[in-house]
This record gives sequence, structure tokens and C-alpha cells, in this order.
Amino acid sequence: METTENQMFSSYQRNPELFDEIYDKDGKIMSVYSELFDLYGEHSIKDYVKLNDKAKASFFNQGITFQVYDKKETREKIFPFDLFPRIIDPQEWDIIERGAIQRSKALNLFLWDIYHDKKIIKQGIVPMDLISSSANYLDQMVGVDPPGGIYNHISGTDVIKHKDGKYYVLEDNIRCPSGVSYVICNRTALKRALFGVFNHYKTHTVTNYAENLLDLLETVKPKGVDVPNVVVITPGMFNSAFYEHSYLAKTMGVELVEGRDLFVENDFVYMKTIRGPEKVDVIYRRIDDAFIDPLEFKPDSSLGVPGLFAAYKKGNVTLANAPGTGVADDKAVYTYMPQIIKYYLNEEPILNNVHTYHCSRPDELKYVLEHIHELVIKPVDEAGGYGISIGNRLTKEEIEVVKNQIKETPRKYVAQPILSLSVHPTYIEDTESFEQRHVDLRTFTVLGKDREFVLKGGLTRVALKRGNLIVNSSQGGGSKDTWVLKK
Amino acid sequence: MRLPDSPMVHVPQLIHFNKIEVYLPENMPLEYAITYTAENSYENWVHDAHWQFLITPQQNSNQDFVGVEFKNSLNAVNEFSVNGYGFSTIRVHPKQKFKEISFEAHFKLVKKEVNPFDFISEDTIQEAYDKINTLTFKVDYEAFLRKTPFTTLPNNKEDIFDFDKNISIFDNLQALNAFTYTHIYFKTDVTDVNTLLDEIIEKRHGVCQDFTHLFCALARKNGIPTRYVSGYLHQGNGFFGDSAMHAWAESYMPRIGWIGFDPTNNLLANTNHIKVAHGKDYSDCSPLIGVVYTTGRNKTSHTVQVSSQQQQ
Repeated sequence: METTENQMFSSYQRNPELFDEIYDKDGKIMSVYSELFDLYGEHSIKDYVKLNDKAKASFFNQGITFQVYDKKETREKIFPFDLFPRIIDPQEWDIIERGAIQRSKALNLFLWDIYHDKKIIKQGIVPMDLISSSANYLDQMVGVDPPGGIYNHISGTDVIKHKDGKYYVLEDNIRCPSGVSYVICNRTALKRALFGVFNHYKTHTVTNYAENLLDLLETVKPKGVDVPNVVVITPGMFNSAFYEHSYLAKTMGVELVEGRDLFVENDFVYMKTIRGPEKVDVIYRRIDDAFIDPLEFKPDSSLGVPGLFAAYKKGNVTLANAPGTGVADDKAVYTYMPQIIKYYLNEEPILNNVHTYHCSRPDELKYVLEHIHELVIKPVDEAGGYGISIGNRLTKEEIEVVKNQIKETPRKYVAQPILSLSVHPTYIEDTESFEQRHVDLRTFTVLGKDREFVLKGGLTRVALKRGNLIVNSSQGGGSKDTWVLKK
Repeated sequence: MRLPDSPMVHVPQLIHFNKIEVYLPENMPLEYAITYTAENSYENWVHDAHWQFLITPQQNSNQDFVGVEFKNSLNAVNEFSVNGYGFSTIRVHPKQKFKEISFEAHFKLVKKEVNPFDFISEDTIQEAYDKINTLTFKVDYEAFLRKTPFTTLPNNKEDIFDFDKNISIFDNLQALNAFTYTHIYFKTDVTDVNTLLDEIIEKRHGVCQDFTHLFCALARKNGIPTRYVSGYLHQGNGFFGDSAMHAWAESYMPRIGWIGFDPTNNLLANTNHIKVAHGKDYSDCSPLIGVVYTTGRNKTSHTVQVSSQQQQ
């Protein structure tokens, strides 16, 4: 254990087993953090507690809350925010940014292929059941050319830093990735609380996200449209991400609509306004595929617009992301990402994939059974973390049970090495001190026609429970402002 | 739908396949007139409703679509569009509240004389089976080889019809057509649009969509891309009265293409089969989808009439 004279971090304890982002191998503060460390150190924990309370109030006042459903009551809660920012230096960021673009582009080409010639399957590079057994493959999209050739306009790539110091991708979220509004609000909150620290660092702005999103959405307008009318469609105010939907519409300067505000006539989409119907050309939709058009998908959905899919199919409106994109947002597709990148771009993956062992392959099955204590075992067809076994947390008896399950139906399981997420000093209210907590990073990539944009920053999510590896907000996670430094 | 002269009780027997009756002289196009009506009534006011009809005959090499007339009793705008699979639809969205609405459609089309046996296969029997086993073939026809909820056979019934690899795919499909025809009894009002194969195989009764789902499941099980077809069946001139839309199947054979099989009548699809749409199963071809906001009970009925006239 090492202590320092710095008041704020005097009781900070470092576990040598964990990869702490602000210390180097020799236990010295990393150079990018040294100035920040000193600046924070000028304050006492007492000052910090006050600042922390103010920052929390700021989130409440801005209405940036989500709802927690309890048996007794429904409460508005803020997404816990940590005032000690995470810094990413330009060299590291360059890898993340190029890697995120590479993955988004490869996934876009993959989507085009599996909705057209399916060459990657015919050449035996990925198996057919990636589409035939996927609940998210939309037969209605076969042969459809989305405007500008783009399917995954908005991607949220989740990366973690492993103890080897390298970044690994955990998953590619390409349905309706959320969280970008928190990135911007975190920056605003930190500036309000500690504006002085920004004078010491050249940090890239994050507030340019909305203008770039709007620009890129305009590049994928339908044919024959000059200046496209863009709207954001939301499931409504009871959706947990409603704040984000309204924030994005407001900052892009476009209308926020619900399904009932739109209608389709002669295969064109219109918005009801007090000045009469107004044609809509590009829809940033935050509604899942199944709900966008009750005449085509779920008939009991009241969130969508009847006839919307026909308008889309005729090329009269752009939907972002395109329907059917979810098929590539899948555990099984993830495991083939290195091959997918190589196949379409003829490039080596810039960001690492977590190595995946397919138990259906005999030699890999043998490895998995022999090394189960150092692996995470995941069923391929379950979502939401269900059925996952973490090898080093299992008892001897449990290991035998899992082994038998795998032997019985090997094709149902994949295994991955247990990753150790990096940790970052995080203020813990209960102990009124900084402690090590695991972090990940959600990045946001926008693809347009022949152009792309990666938000220089991202959502650093923190697992607030000690030792917890799960960073989701529903599991008690918080977040940090993330600084990408200028070169 | 069953042709009026179909036997209602089956005596298992060998069927001689090549004795399909040809109803008309060759190369004589036929003009068909189809009338579809639907009536909906609701206990309480309907404030908002959308309907989508998938009832318009397809324009294809055998069907020349010449005219459509569509009316609804509220004089709401009828919008002609397509569904997700590109088949013609008619959408209606009344802008007033109502308790009753009726629809009436008249279609006219000219159908070429179809001889279902008029094809040439250059493949030998073995070549054809080799082809359907290639990855490229399986990928190209993946959607129509897939098990859907309606075309999933019960576990212990997956092998009730295995192809004989010594005879051609076409001969096997004809045998399957006859097998399906004799395996279940035609009986109306015992199944509905949600009935799955488990029940149909167990109780051995059903209507055209049940026959078709069974045929699709067994053909796909044997590696033959097969699609569910919805449409109209002309039952003979002078036939009037209430009836429904019909369903049959189309199977794909290398070098031959898609051929229609009607397992409800043990026929190959011919001049009397007027196609509207196809899909993986009934759920892709539902003739009417309604999104109706109301409470209370409602009543729906529809009728179909098909009449023909030989062109001069």
C-alpha cells in the first residue's frame, strides 16, 4: 500500500492486482494525470463533498434523471456522476477512434452483404445460422438499398482497457445505442463545478455531437430531396431514455415526435403541424424495429406509424438506424468480427476482440474444459447476461455441473478469457474517500455517405460496487467525464 | 378451400400423378373477375383504424392484371402501396369515427393457360440432388428452407415423409402432395390462423393453410425451398356463394424454377390458381391486417367470388 501527501487521495488504496489507469508500473502518477492530481489535491475532501452535492443538484435541475421502479414507489434518480475525470491521451485515442470507424464500416458492409448477395456466408467465412437463427434478421430488408448505403448510422462501441494496457471491444451496439446525452451533460456538470481545471488541459469538445449527427443524417437523405426535414421519433416520455431523445432533438434543432404525430400518405411521411402537414425525409428513430409500423410488424404497437415501412421500402424516407440492423448486434456476430473486418476491408482489426472459443469445435472444446477456471462461459442464444458462468468464481461442484452442460450440448456455448477491466479513482460517498473502481468506455460513431464522425470523448461507466465488473446504470453504475486530449 | 368435387373422406390409395385433368384447350387465355367483400361492425365507436389488404392478384408471367376497383363504405381514401415483401396492398385509414365499415374489391385479370408439366429439366436426378446440397443453394433459398413457427414439425414426426433419392425431386414433391392430401382430412372451423402443425398432425384435420403448412414443412425438411402462396381458386363457372381465399405451396427445383403444388386438392397449381402473394408461411401473407382502436365486441365477415370467361 502506498500513500501520498495529496489530501484528496491520501487514503487511496491500490490493489497491485488491478490495472490502475492513473499510475504507471512503478507506482508513479502517469504524466497526463499529474497536473490534475495536484489540482484536485489542493482541495480537501470536505470541499469535494460540497462540490459533489452541487453537481448532483445540477443534474436534478437539468432534469437528467431516470426512473427507478420500486414495489412501493417510482422515484426519479440521477445517473451517479463522478467528478474525477478520465483522461485519454491522443495516441491511445487515435487507436480507439480508428478502431471504432473500422468496426462500424465493416459492420455496414456486412449488413449490406447479408441483405443482398450473402457472399460472406457462401464463401464459408461466417455460418448461415448467423442469419437464419437470428430473431433480428428482417426478411423484408432483403434487396432493399438504404439511402446512402448506410445501415448503422449510429454505433455505440463498448471498449475496456485490460491489464495488458490494450483496449478490447466488448460489444458493438448498433440498434439504438444511448448514453450520448450523458457525455455532454457530464462535461457541462464538471465545468460548472470545477471550471478551473479545464485551463490546464487541452481537451476536445463533446458538444459538437448534435451538429455532426445532423450533418451526417442529411448526407443520407432520400433521392430527390434538396434540404431534408429531419425528425427524432421517441416512444414517449415514459421511456427511460426520453431525456436523451428530447436533448438530441433540441440540440440538433429538429422536431421531437411520437408515432401519432406522423402519418403516411401515398407512401410519403408527413408530420402534423399547426401549419398543416409537413413532409419528413429523415427519421432518427429511437424505437425498435418491431414497433415502427404496426401494419408490417407488431400489430399491437401504438408507438409506430402505419405505412412507414412501405414509405421506407419505396425510398421516400430514411430511417436511422436502418431496420434489420440489429442482426449484426449479436454475440455470435461479434465472435466473427476479426474475419468480417478482414473480409470486407482487407485490414487487420485495430481494436482487439476478446478471443472466443467455440465449444462446437473439438480442439477448442478440449481447451475450454481444461481451462474452465480462467474462462467466462456464455450460452450463445441467451441475452442480457443470463446463463453466464465466471470460471474463477465457481466452486468445484459448480465447475463439474458447467462442464457437463457444455459436454451435453457443446454448440450452445462459447467461452472467453476473464477480462480484468482497468480501474480508476472514484469518489465513494459511503466512505467519503476515493477508491479503485472498474471502468469501461462507450464510444459513439456516426456513419454518413462517404463521411464519418467519432465523438472525441465517450461515456466512461463506473461500477460503483466494490469488485463489481458490471457497469450498467441499472446495476448501480455511475459515469465520469472523459477527456480526449488534443495532440 | 376445397374443390367441390373433392372427396371428403379419404381412402388411402395409390395416386396416378400424370392424370391431371386439363380443363381448357391450350393457349387460350382466360379472363377472371374476382370480387372480395369484407364487413366489419363494432359494438362501440371506432376513433382510429388502419387496414391493409393483401388481396390484389400478382402481376407475373402467367397473370396479366388488368383492373382493380376498390370501395369502402365511408368513402375514405384507398391507398395503393406495397408490403414489406413488395406485394401490392391497399391501405385504408378513415378520418371519421364509425361503428360499421365495409369494403368491396373487384379485380380483373387475364390468365395464361398453364400446363404444369410444361418444363424441361436438363439435370439428371443425381445432379439435382447435388445442387440442392451446395452451400450457395442453401444460402440463396435460406428463407424458404427455414423452420418458422407454422412450419415446425413435432419432434417425433420429423421423418413422416422422406424423399426417395432414386426418383426426381419433382416426382417426390408430387408424392408429397398426395401424402399431405391423404394425411389430413379437410374440415372447416376446427382450426384457425394460429393453429400449429403439432395439433394438425395429431388431429389430422384442417383447411388449406394447414395442408400448405404441412407440405411446406416436409418439403423444406427434405431440402427443397418451398413457399406459402395465398390467392384465389376458381372452382368452375357458375359457382357462386360464400367462400374464402385459398392457399397452396410453391417449391423450387434446380433449372425448373418454382412450381405450384396444391396439397388440399392434390393438384398442381394451374390456370385456376390465381396468385396474390407468397411468403414463409401464413403470417407473411395475411390477407387483412387491421389496427383498430376501439373497445367491446366486433364482427367481421368476408366473401370471395371468382368467375371466368374465355377470351374471344
